[in-house]
Amino acid sequence: MALDETNSLSRLTEQFPGYEKFTSHITSVTLSFVLPFLYITDRHNPRITASLLNQIYRNSGDCSPTHFAHINATACFTARLLYDTVLNALAGWEVTWENGCQNWPGEDGKRYNDSIDSFLHGLRNLRNKSWGGTAKGSGRTADEEPRMVLLIERAERLKDNLPDLIVPLTRLAELSQVKITTILLSSARWEDIKPPLGASPDPYFIDIDPPSKQDTVDSLLFEFRSASITHARADKQDKTYHPSLLPLYEQYVEHVYNVCSLYTTDIQELQYIAAARWPGFVKPVLREQSDAHGDGDPDPDGTCTELTLPASDGRMRLLKFFTPSLTTALDVLYPRLTNATDWALANDPDMQASEEAQCQTNTEGSIIVDHLPRMSKFILLAAFLASTNPAKSDVRMFGRGADKQKRRRRKSASPKKAGAQTTVAKVSQRLLGPVVFPLDRLLAILGALLEENDVENRPHEPWFELPGEYTDMELGRVHIYAAITELTSMRALHRTTAVEKLEGPPMYKCGISFWVAGALAKDLQVPLNDLMWDPV
Amino acid sequence: MSPHKPEEPDNSDDADELNLSPLKLPANCTTPPPRPHVGRVLLHSVEITTPRSFPKLAFTASPAPSTRQPLAKIPTTTTGVACHVAELVAASPSRPSPFQNVLPPQNSPNRTDQLPSTTSRDRLQSKSPKKDQSPASRPQSPTRIPRSLPSHLGTCLRLQKSAMLSELQNCSMECDEGASLGPVNTAASQQLKDLLAGTVTRGEGNSCFVLGPRGSGKTAIVDRAIASLDQTPIVIRLSGHTELNDRLALREIARQLSLQTGKTYLGELNNDDDQDDDDNPFLDASPSIDIPPPSHLPALVSALTTLSRPVVVILDAFDLFALHARQALLYCLLDTAQSCKVGQGHNGIAVIGVTTRIDTINLLEKRVKSRFSGRMLRTAAPTELSFWMKLIERVLRARIEPQEEEWEPLWTLAIDNFITDRKVLEQIQETVAVTRDIRVLQRILIGVVAALAPSSPFPTCAQLISAVHAQRICDPFPHLSTLPYPSVCLLIAAVHAHTAGHDAITFEMLYDAFREQYRASAAAPIQVAGGSIGMSRCTREVLMRGFERLIGERIFICITASSTSIAPGFARYRSALTWDDVKRAVDKMGKTNLKKWLTKAQ
Repeated sequence: MALDETNSLSRLTEQFPGYEKFTSHITSVTLSFVLPFLYITDRHNPRITASLLNQIYRNSGDCSPTHFAHINATACFTARLLYDTVLNALAGWEVTWENGCQNWPGEDGKRYNDSIDSFLHGLRNLRNKSWGGTAKGSGRTADEEPRMVLLIERAERLKDNLPDLIVPLTRLAELSQVKITTILLSSARWEDIKPPLGASPDPYFIDIDPPSKQDTVDSLLFEFRSASITHARADKQDKTYHPSLLPLYEQYVEHVYNVCSLYTTDIQELQYIAAARWPGFVKPVLREQSDAHGDGDPDPDGTCTELTLPASDGRMRLLKFFTPSLTTALDVLYPRLTNATDWALANDPDMQASEEAQCQTNTEGSIIVDHLPRMSKFILLAAFLASTNPAKSDVRMFGRGADKQKRRRRKSASPKKAGAQTTVAKVSQRLLGPVVFPLDRLLAILGALLEENDVENRPHEPWFELPGEYTDMELGRVHIYAAITELTSMRALHRTTAVEKLEGPPMYKCGISFWVAGALAKDLQVPLNDLMWDPV
Repeated sequence: MSPHKPEEPDNSDDADELNLSPLKLPANCTTPPPRPHVGRVLLHSVEITTPRSFPKLAFTASPAPSTRQPLAKIPTTTTGVACHVAELVAASPSRPSPFQNVLPPQNSPNRTDQLPSTTSRDRLQSKSPKKDQSPASRPQSPTRIPRSLPSHLGTCLRLQKSAMLSELQNCSMECDEGASLGPVNTAASQQLKDLLAGTVTRGEGNSCFVLGPRGSGKTAIVDRAIASLDQTPIVIRLSGHTELNDRLALREIARQLSLQTGKTYLGELNNDDDQDDDDNPFLDASPSIDIPPPSHLPALVSALTTLSRPVVVILDAFDLFALHARQALLYCLLDTAQSCKVGQGHNGIAVIGVTTRIDTINLLEKRVKSRFSGRMLRTAAPTELSFWMKLIERVLRARIEPQEEEWEPLWTLAIDNFITDRKVLEQIQETVAVTRDIRVLQRILIGVVAALAPSSPFPTCAQLISAVHAQRICDPFPHLSTLPYPSVCLLIAAVHAHTAGHDAITFEMLYDAFREQYRASAAAPIQVAGGSIGMSRCTREVLMRGFERLIGERIFICITASSTSIAPGFARYRSALTWDDVKRAVDKMGKTNLKKWLTKAQ
């Protein structure tokens, strides 16, 4: 048994480098039931920690009777889901079609998911059942009570979804009189989810240290090895993950780490970036190999042959060549602007030059305005101005004297200088977010914009004599209102008053960002900066 | 060194002499009798009772400039010494030694970290000669503690660990036995036992509170009092944390009763519930719970005294029950307890409220309060340090049956040294002064025990301090200096916004500040040693990821409810960090560009 233990431990160490200390700590703490409640804070790689804990407790079944439930507080967003998931996992009950898709029935056929009391009864029942079962089955002493471990991942979600359950979950052992250890795993601190008035006992705290560079590289290498094993099993001709490429991969991963670690040290993100770039990176190497072997015969047992790796200067050239694409990969893949497959296709080293334009993805992310009709663009621009400028500045910004001479009395001082006089500098509205404006104001600003920028483009209509009369007519058209409604439905405008409300003008808020507005203004040839109260 | 081991080449010793006479000496003085060097004998008598001043004294005595190099070498040489001693002991057959198989300790990878522990260990080791001189009560008494565990003692260590952990578990469950419980708890325990005995044997109706701070042994006292009864009563445990209203509590009472008596109560309700189940299994949980109507409450509670055995009702978190509507459950329970008279053929009932809230009695309504007996049993943890030290000692000296007989003296010696360490005492004193919650101490001890490993097999003061830091005085944000660049940029921008008087920040504000800073640093590129120390480029989206990360860690706290109509860039947040926190983190990171930005006046 001891041999088994060391074996599984060494396997864990290999799979999770850098976690040795934590593994020995947590196993010795939870080996015998000492602590009813642990809180693990991992701000770096909580998912990896969760899978490590999962493996520890799943594999420890043979040396001590442990029932283990691993739930995610994101998935268990109602109390009932949580009860059912926990009990099913602890009892090892699989919900299948054959058993009628029912939850763990217990022995008395009662429901255990209707309240926390029933859940506690369920736990007790489970304890009695497995206790009796093991005592009879393997002749264990009856006083060896089965231990249970409940691991809750992303425990910070409990505070939002199930605030009433935090206290009972943290006192689970005390309330149920069952030897159950609750482990909360989260990236937030316990102080952030702690219920008020000290209702929960303080947990045993474990903080997980950030992984070192070597640990990160090691765990990426482990992934490569397991990928190459699965590829070899699948018997693919693809040599991308050939085992003999491991030294090259090590160098590559270190390079990826050096490029990206300034921005993220998350192992899984690095893995994602590395995996996205690796097939392209290794392509020239593989091509050289197949050229050397001769194109004619793709040897059937190609997986067995060793690949010769490029010499050190060749490797340096490769790394140098791919450095810029790693940076773009970080910029695109880390915020998940696109997925790894698409990105790898778009950044194929063979056709990189041609696809340069493709790389410019929809980084703004929100609303695409290129296809809008001209009037809608004006409406959006007017909405942006109405949301950004203070309402009392409208006369100054858009007003015209009788002599048709522009008389703008813009505040000449920049906002920074104004801030120097008062105690608190005002933050530009552009940064604080759009304010709400009534529809009338939008129409008025739209009229001013159109009169300034659009009149010359219209065909001459002889029956409009007064200045501005034509624009007024345009403003009165029903399609303006239709366009506003359409923009609202595509979330370029937000309507803040209810649709069914009749009194007062409807209120709106602009939904486009400053950059989109700038692009619109450029398109319409409107000097946006001159029209803003706080010019950029 | 050299006189004890003539076959050892001298060069290592010379190196010792050159590099560090000061720290080698204490290690040296542990070596057995023949001591030709007079100077060393003198130093041996310098004595070891002043643990902290000793290394300092040694350092000041050394005239050599305390540069990094000799400092870094200290552990190496001391390991060397220990290694020699071990070999020597093994070589000399005249002396019975438990160190027959002591392996030469490996060079540990992080030497500089070992420095404090090395000195303390030296101190520990230097005690051992005195022990040696003591009469040979233990012929196998070890003279020194090995640095790392010989491999054959690994199982002993594992056994010892699990023994200590189970001891710790017991101390939380049962607090402590007998007189060491402290005067307050002993009195409370006795009163409670008397009260329960009255209920069980004479059929009285009783009610009382058990009041006391957290971790002072309330639940333990109640459990022990019930366990000590000669007749098993029906025990109903309710907790204010789970019974959120009286109807839930009522259902739970019925359920526990039927589990302990075998009869069903509220049976007709369960039938109704079954029908509900068949109706719509997809219905949400809340409406289909078979909650009894409140009208059942008085009937059920008054039936408690008619049962075959006496009943003990334990209300944990009693103050929360007082918040239930009209305090109906408490009224019924206390009314039943009060009206339960001896000699009417009823069995007794005892209602025990367990709470930490000192003014719980004031929460009760008048009609409820008048039915409560007013008995309040106080619990408090013992105040004397000796109690806590005894507790620690008991845990650490947990008995095992070791397979290797050299283990026990070794362990005893290590524990002796640990307990008598002045720093350890200080730490315990401080902890007990802050809180007398036994669970805090328990957690700290678990931290110490769990940190034991073959590489560091015996508890040390450093382990205790790190456990105290992990369990009692947590640093709220220990990881700030390891945050990635985008997050730190946002933190600095937030700090600047705070300085400018804007408590509420949006992502757009921070991004604007970052762009400003980036532009400024790009406009005047400064190169130091060929590398730019300007700001690194960072796209808006990557910064947004950093922002989300900070929100996830609750460093940025949302101050307005999020809504679909507010773009994520404009949601308002507040930073939980102060300028000092960020300053410390940035200093630790050591990036010039960030430091400059942080200290820049805006």
